[in-house]
Amino acid sequence: SVQAHKEEDNPQKTMEVNGLTPVPHSYDYDLIVIGGGSGGLAAAKEAAKYEKKVMVLDFVTPTPQGSSWGLGGTCVNVGCIPKKLMHQAALLGQALQDSRNFGWQFTEEVKHNWMTMTESVQNYIGSLNWGYRVALRDKKVTYENAYGEFVGPHTIKATNKKGIEKLYTAERFIIATGERPRYLGIPGDKEYCLSSDDLFSLPYCPGKTLVVGASYVALECAGFLAGLGLDVTVMVRSILLRGFDQDMANRIGEYMKEHGVNFIREFVPIKVEQVEEGTPGILKVTAKSTTGDQMIEGEYNTVLLAIGRDPCTRKIGLDKVGVNINEKTGKIPVNDEEQTNVPYIYAIGDILQDKLELTPVAIQAGRLLVHRLYGGATTKCDYVNVPTTVFTPLEYGACGYSEETAVEKFGEANIEVYHSHFWPLEWTVPSRDNNKCYAKIICNIQDNERVIGFHVLGPNAGEVTQGFAAAIKCGLTKEQLDNTVGIHPVCAEV
Amino acid sequence: MGWEEVQVRGYSEFVRTAQSYHGRPIFALFCGDKDAEGKSWCPDCVTAEPIVRKELHNLPDESVFIYCLVGDRAYWKDPNNEFRRNLKLTGVPTLLKYGTPQKLVEEECFKAELVRMLFTED
Repeated sequence: SVQAHKEEDNPQKTMEVNGLTPVPHSYDYDLIVIGGGSGGLAAAKEAAKYEKKVMVLDFVTPTPQGSSWGLGGTCVNVGCIPKKLMHQAALLGQALQDSRNFGWQFTEEVKHNWMTMTESVQNYIGSLNWGYRVALRDKKVTYENAYGEFVGPHTIKATNKKGIEKLYTAERFIIATGERPRYLGIPGDKEYCLSSDDLFSLPYCPGKTLVVGASYVALECAGFLAGLGLDVTVMVRSILLRGFDQDMANRIGEYMKEHGVNFIREFVPIKVEQVEEGTPGILKVTAKSTTGDQMIEGEYNTVLLAIGRDPCTRKIGLDKVGVNINEKTGKIPVNDEEQTNVPYIYAIGDILQDKLELTPVAIQAGRLLVHRLYGGATTKCDYVNVPTTVFTPLEYGACGYSEETAVEKFGEANIEVYHSHFWPLEWTVPSRDNNKCYAKIICNIQDNERVIGFHVLGPNAGEVTQGFAAAIKCGLTKEQLDNTVGIHPVCAEV
Repeated sequence: MGWEEVQVRGYSEFVRTAQSYHGRPIFALFCGDKDAEGKSWCPDCVTAEPIVRKELHNLPDESVFIYCLVGDRAYWKDPNNEFRRNLKLTGVPTLLKYGTPQKLVEEECFKAELVRMLFTED
């Protein structure tokens, strides 16, 4: 229960776990943040503003393929940022095709160069890594590129890439270690398969690619790879985008299928073998049906695994300080103030149990936590009505309940769904699909037809959704929405 | 072998010099031209130069430090000058590690801590 967790976080109180480890009474640091990603950096910079002595530890264990990256965490290096840039690269390819209908004339065939794109993306990421280091140094936050793990109360060991170990103590800790891609656990997975950790810095074009998984990572990657002209197949075990509105998920899948992405449904890989070495080489994938005994084989240049991400909480010594984790998932349960069961240890970001795995959520949680710890504030992070966007070829923006969850919570009779297809004006001239873009709102009849769910499928879905998220936070009702005059001609007016 | 300094003026000389040291770590400080009395038209460059010079002893062995005068004020203000176009410089002074996204611009060059970080860390 929440009460049980709200123990006093009293810096004066000593805590001896097993009586053997001496507990320091004056600490090296006020705050040590383990993990230099979205959440960790936001918290560290905020704490420095309160003139606290802060240290950030960030370390990237290289992937099985040897990929690694700099300070900034998943979002900056192997997540949101490179993903959106490559999604943009794919959209530009489409725009080039459309442009002919608008009068642009070019005779050469337009081709895509993977290396040029990747170099530009990596250069930008490099400038972000550097920018974070300058920001930390400037704010007098100590940054060490070292792997942090707890060794006793208030004490961590930091091991750098040369294996040199140092011990540090702090009054409080924030764990923000994030997650890493999961592997299948089948022969050949770590030796031959890539994950999103490798894709965005791949020094050669991936070629004909099999994407395993149906997460947003899988569909976004499959989407932009196909948009760049590659032959892409997605192997799905059961449903697409688990946890998202399933009607919208299926529309996304249909669109991708109609636009050149192959789908193999209800199969899972059981073996990956190398047929030919190379950059890329040729891999043979054997897969088994989930509904019968059927087996299939296929050959691909690249196999990209996107079947889920696991928290980095199992090897950071949490047992040495008694922090509870969910043994099955590795996630850390916290109270509504991001405090673990150990009063001086907090956690934020993707590793939290039952919280959304999004950069802005981690940043917000980190900042508010620091305001509460050092600024006397009481505001807690609001995890309700957080908007999100999936950057598949047809983008999907959402805020609030999915239709299924709304029905489950309020009952089918108590909700009303208003929906509409729309045809973006920009798509008319190049004769692009006229029945694919779609928007719906889910309203709670018993509460003044309050809008409790917003879903839009179409170009610039993220930009469209952000404003509606603010309106929903203010308690938008259907009537208010109807009374809002639309902007014409834009998709959002629907 | 420690580090060495080379002084150049103008874009072509800079590029030629940087290319000739290919394979070694190259750091470059870009400043506005100096007049006959040795004073630059760029006040921030006047402030930054001694601070940067004080940290030069931290440069890794085998490095090359290129001190580059970019030109007069009019040349620099032109939004299409070669430094802006090709090296993507946005201001003077700029201190950078050539071939990487690591750089310090304008007031960042006044901070000895940051200069030291640029010179000594990966």
